[in-house]
Amino acid sequence: MPFDFQSQADRADMYRRIRSFFDGRGYLEVFTPTLSPTLIPEPTIQDFSTRFVNEFLSSRDFYLVPSPEIFMKEILASGSPSIYQISQCFRNCEQLGRIHNPEFSMLEYYTLGYDEKDSIGLTEELVRQLICDKSPAWLSKPFRVLSVREAVMDACAFDLDDYQEPGALIDKARSLGETPSDDEAWDDVFNRIFISHVETGLADDEVVVFTDYPVQIECLAKAYDDAPYRHRWEMYMGGIEVANCYQEEDSVDKTLSYYAKEGQRLKSEREGTQLPCPPMSKRFPSLQVPASSGVAIGLDRLLMVLTGRRSIEEVLLFPFEGLLGEQVF
Amino acid sequence: MIKAGQIDKGTALLIKGQPFVCIEREFVNPGKGSAFVRLKLKSPSTGQVLSETMKSQDNAEDITVEDRDIQYLYNDGTNFAFMNVETFDQIEVPMANFPDYQYFMREGETYRATFWEDQLLDILIPAKIVFTVAEAEEAVKGDTVQGATKYVTTETGLRVRVPIFIKQGEKIRVNTETKEYLERVNK
Repeated sequence: MPFDFQSQADRADMYRRIRSFFDGRGYLEVFTPTLSPTLIPEPTIQDFSTRFVNEFLSSRDFYLVPSPEIFMKEILASGSPSIYQISQCFRNCEQLGRIHNPEFSMLEYYTLGYDEKDSIGLTEELVRQLICDKSPAWLSKPFRVLSVREAVMDACAFDLDDYQEPGALIDKARSLGETPSDDEAWDDVFNRIFISHVETGLADDEVVVFTDYPVQIECLAKAYDDAPYRHRWEMYMGGIEVANCYQEEDSVDKTLSYYAKEGQRLKSEREGTQLPCPPMSKRFPSLQVPASSGVAIGLDRLLMVLTGRRSIEEVLLFPFEGLLGEQVF
Repeated sequence: MIKAGQIDKGTALLIKGQPFVCIEREFVNPGKGSAFVRLKLKSPSTGQVLSETMKSQDNAEDITVEDRDIQYLYNDGTNFAFMNVETFDQIEVPMANFPDYQYFMREGETYRATFWEDQLLDILIPAKIVFTVAEAEEAVKGDTVQGATKYVTTETGLRVRVPIFIKQGEKIRVNTETKEYLERVNK
């Protein structure tokens, strides 16, 4: 089958516009490694590992980054201006298909002094800049912004604030027809409800931003002092999750405690399995990340939506499925 | 048992003791959190459609289904009677499980059917079937509200709305899903 050269031209055009958008606003474009000796502990992300071998130096396991976050935050902590990067990222054990490929393109941008709500406006401006003649008309409509709590209330008629205990949420999930196990963790039960009842109700002709994710979903987004939520949002375009944003955790103590907790969980879940268990940097969690907000956008999905295509396989010349099935001597 | 992540379109599962076939499968990886699959499952016998969200690592009870050829013998108004063409065993199933199939099957003809153990789950009916018009109403002159159509009854008893030019004894092709007239068939 001939390659779809147009998809390459469309991608190059999108990259040019992204660079022009951020360069024009004084962001520094950065280029960080794909191979890292350590990763941020994220038990729900499976990693690719490889090994550096040199008989005269040393040997060491390296990991293909699931996101450039670990390097970009170090650059921020060193006193950089706001930064952005377009890079290849990798997630192992991913499914393959319409919106999944284990190797994917990511845009990450960190804005100094911004909170996550400021990043919504910035991202909306960016999307406006990327709209092309192939884009569906609905992409020009204002983003619909609502909190996760409001979305759950609309879709399932209950207030997340009242279901903070795992048992209570499990009972609620069951009353909604879900089948969580008795010992399922709160965040899994929440995701089950969100996936089944909120995501499925998303229209295919609007951009929706869900803000204020539950604090129980561990990540390096700042938590509210007075409510069980985090300064974090996710953006869905036509029902497809495309972006994730944090107001970055800037407390070293909280980052260290995240590392301790999630690192322990990672070890206990990976021990005895074939999955790599990447070591944790001693340096990274002690870095003083400045007040900032970071956004990560899946560029294959974004390009698919911007150009009215149905599958990310239409914007990849070499989808993973073909590589996986390749015959060898 | 299989992992929910292994379920694919066409996988047959036992849900609360009832067989279901997966008709849609979508992987969902929340931004932060365990991987899930969102499934649409259909009961081949009742047509009931279930939406189910499972963690990829959850266990699901899969079942093996098998295709066999069966000959349609007759119906008694309550049950369909079939014969397994290999074993000559006779099978009876409630007509309610396969609504309107009496209009689409012809006695004596052989159909491909899906079984789970001895339970008949599905009968493969062609998407389009040619019928002979057994009875045709006279078109009512001047009645154009229906766009110059009338009803006919096929040799199997199916009532179909057709253009007024269709006459008794002619052959028509019908969409078996919508029960709509497609075209006149001239031999």
